[in-house]
Amino acid sequence: MEGIFRTAARAAAAWAALGAMGVILPAAAQDRPLVIARNLEINSLDPHRAFCDTCQIYLSATYQGLVKLAADDRSVEPSLATEWSANENQTEFTFKLDPKAVFSDGSPVEAKDVKWTFERLKNLQGDPSFMMKGVTAIETPDDKTVIVKMESPNSEFIGILAAPYTGIINSEVASSNGASAGDDAATADKGETWFLANSAGSGPYVLDTYRPDDELRFRANDKFWGTAPAIKEIVIDQSADAVSQAQMLQSGAADIAMQVDPDTAETIASPDLTIETVPSYNYIYVSFSPGAEGNQTPLDLEVRQALAYAIDYQGAIDFTVGGKGALQASPIPNGFPGTEDLPMPEENLDKAKELLASKNLQDGFTVDATVASINVYGVDLALLMQKLQQDLSRINVTLNIQPVASAVWRQQIANPGIPFSARFYAPDYYGSAQYVQFFGMLPGSWWERNASGQGKVDLVNQKEVDLLQQALAASGDDVARLYREIALEMINDRIIVPVVSPNLILAYRNEVAGVRYSACCNLPLAELSIK
Amino acid sequence: MFAYVTKRLIAMPFLLLGVITVAFLLTHFTAADPLTSIIGERQMNNPEVVEAARQRWGLDRSLPEQYLVYLGNLVTGDFGTSFRTRQPVAQDLILRLPATLELVIAAMMLGTLFGITLGVLAARFRGGVIDNLARLFALIGASAPVFWSGLLVLFVFSVQLGWLPGPGRIDARAVAPPFVTGFFTIDTLLAGDWTGFRSVLLHLLLPASVLGWTVTGIVSRMVRASMLDVLSQEYILAARAKGASPVRVLLHHALRNAMLPTLTIIGFSFAYLITGAVLTETIFAWPGIGSYAVSAARGLDHPAIVGVTIIGGAAFLIANLLTDIAYAVVDPRVKLGAKAGA
Repeated sequence: MEGIFRTAARAAAAWAALGAMGVILPAAAQDRPLVIARNLEINSLDPHRAFCDTCQIYLSATYQGLVKLAADDRSVEPSLATEWSANENQTEFTFKLDPKAVFSDGSPVEAKDVKWTFERLKNLQGDPSFMMKGVTAIETPDDKTVIVKMESPNSEFIGILAAPYTGIINSEVASSNGASAGDDAATADKGETWFLANSAGSGPYVLDTYRPDDELRFRANDKFWGTAPAIKEIVIDQSADAVSQAQMLQSGAADIAMQVDPDTAETIASPDLTIETVPSYNYIYVSFSPGAEGNQTPLDLEVRQALAYAIDYQGAIDFTVGGKGALQASPIPNGFPGTEDLPMPEENLDKAKELLASKNLQDGFTVDATVASINVYGVDLALLMQKLQQDLSRINVTLNIQPVASAVWRQQIANPGIPFSARFYAPDYYGSAQYVQFFGMLPGSWWERNASGQGKVDLVNQKEVDLLQQALAASGDDVARLYREIALEMINDRIIVPVVSPNLILAYRNEVAGVRYSACCNLPLAELSIK
Repeated sequence: MFAYVTKRLIAMPFLLLGVITVAFLLTHFTAADPLTSIIGERQMNNPEVVEAARQRWGLDRSLPEQYLVYLGNLVTGDFGTSFRTRQPVAQDLILRLPATLELVIAAMMLGTLFGITLGVLAARFRGGVIDNLARLFALIGASAPVFWSGLLVLFVFSVQLGWLPGPGRIDARAVAPPFVTGFFTIDTLLAGDWTGFRSVLLHLLLPASVLGWTVTGIVSRMVRASMLDVLSQEYILAARAKGASPVRVLLHHALRNAMLPTLTIIGFSFAYLITGAVLTETIFAWPGIGSYAVSAARGLDHPAIVGVTIIGGAAFLIANLLTDIAYAVVDPRVKLGAKAGA
């Protein structure tokens, strides 16, 4: 028997030794790679197929657009283009490229690369292809001049070009690795596999390694033509949830945690960490689909208004994100053109009851509420639905909540439709048109199709169509004025009702500097440094 | 035994074909169109984008056509391309299978070692403090959900005590070793990277312990029960009467015979752990087959779902076969392939 105990004692000693080895040794801070804990959820690293939050971080670090979004998150500033101009009716845009700009292989950024990039973005028919919608011709009168012509006015085109998906690609390198920009690119292009292992931009970083669901590793671009980034190597390490990310941060395994939610943030108490709460442009909304097949009670305008009045908006913010969020008036988020001084959503039970009584619905009814069972920007959509269920029960309306997988939700929202649901949105670029085109009751917009049951009921708001055309052709102060009018129309549609714009929590170690939220790019990596 | 093993090996491809067919059909009969996870929702009403995606991923073909193309490709080792990672499924599996196997083998080793040790001690000191503690430990291991025990050990050993690193296979700041076997423990050694090896070993400890705890619970209870049965046999009394030492009686005479039913459990546990390491891999950000399967299922990633199912099916078939062989090796009374009563 003694033999057993001796063996056990040796094993215990070995374990203890291994444990002791695990003590994290301090490293020279400046030399070590910076680690960001984040749920990667990358759909592609091909700039023209990628469409995700992490993609925005990746693309803005490895590629550069003609212009970029300034730190104020509203204005654009030069990037690859030193200057640009638009004709009076916003149908022709001319750009002058910086002669110093070079790609990561040292070759100069030229007009032909811009033309190739924009044509591939348009012809590939990938998720971000809509950004080149309306482009009819791209001319390159010389190596450093690009002229983009549109079929109709688009005053937001410059803003769109600040989106990371429009970053300029080294056309020779990409073409020689299977990428195609021709009219048949949707079927002929074979470049995606190459883009999953390589980058071909002029940004401050290059792709070092990508292992799906594991890590995305950046290396400083040693041929970068701008100010060299302070951190030589950055790793975005897969960490699926807020708790795991917080643990990585607390243990020193990560320097930044990007998706910590308010509840988890409150459990972090360390003098070595900084927890910042900043407003975001992301938001969660509820939607009404009067054309959905499952409607037992017609969701006409008065009924939708009644339901919207019955929502306890501040209570929803407190319940879902512990009060760390903001009210939002319209589907165009706070801070975007046209949102100044919009009337905030109002809880008014008397008005809600009055509206229902006017439709003989004072005894209530039941509404199907299918929702994706996901947690997004710290908000659990199914939990939010439970809060709304309580709110609406006050006017005798019963929500029949059915949580489903996100992919199933996306199928059902189009057909047969979901009468009442909740969803989220984050901006693709700084500009209000994207919201009108997606949420507005324009013929064929995503939400017009879904809410109308693919055209079963007429929800088209012609005023929004006309105002959007005017806004896209306008300039100066007129732009904000016109979008404000559109925003008011969208509020009155009562198809999309924003509930909460959750704040973002930036959690990082004290020695990290330059952590900020960007509307286009999430986290600008090139601005990070170690104090 | 040779004829038996040959027969089983011949039957294996046919069984796998059945698994593939069922998996293929089930994934295609789900309620949602996989396009909803291939295309972003903002482009779902753009007919040009939808058509381009259907063509690119072969979803414009009929189901029988898709099935035949899939089988044809499978013969050449092409498992298709993942809708989600956009990489060949075979490549994904090659990268992830070693990660899962490394975790599962470590978990099996820890779980079996502790399980047998606890089982033997519990049987030896039946009804005493050690027996009760061992049974409590086994009970917790068998019943505690991994999402709870995983987060708990991470919090205690990584965050609070700082003894062991957090999630992942290797320190996030370190560079993964060059791919040779895909087992980071082996590949770091082959690369002569001792720092990396230490990091890999330490990263392996917590997830393997959590996953192995389940095995510890099952194995220790099985060993305890078998040992109690065996220890009451007359040949144990005879061994003692011959003057064999208590340790020899316990380990040589009793444990060897008590191991027979335990082997079956260990074999099944191995296959179960390969397909069931899902939660552990998720909690510990372990890029293995389990987390891949979960992401594939959530994302309606048909090629990946079928690929993982093939691996899972093959794992069960091989584990069953190896268990049967091990049974015959350990117990000469077992004749594989012999008819009952023969």
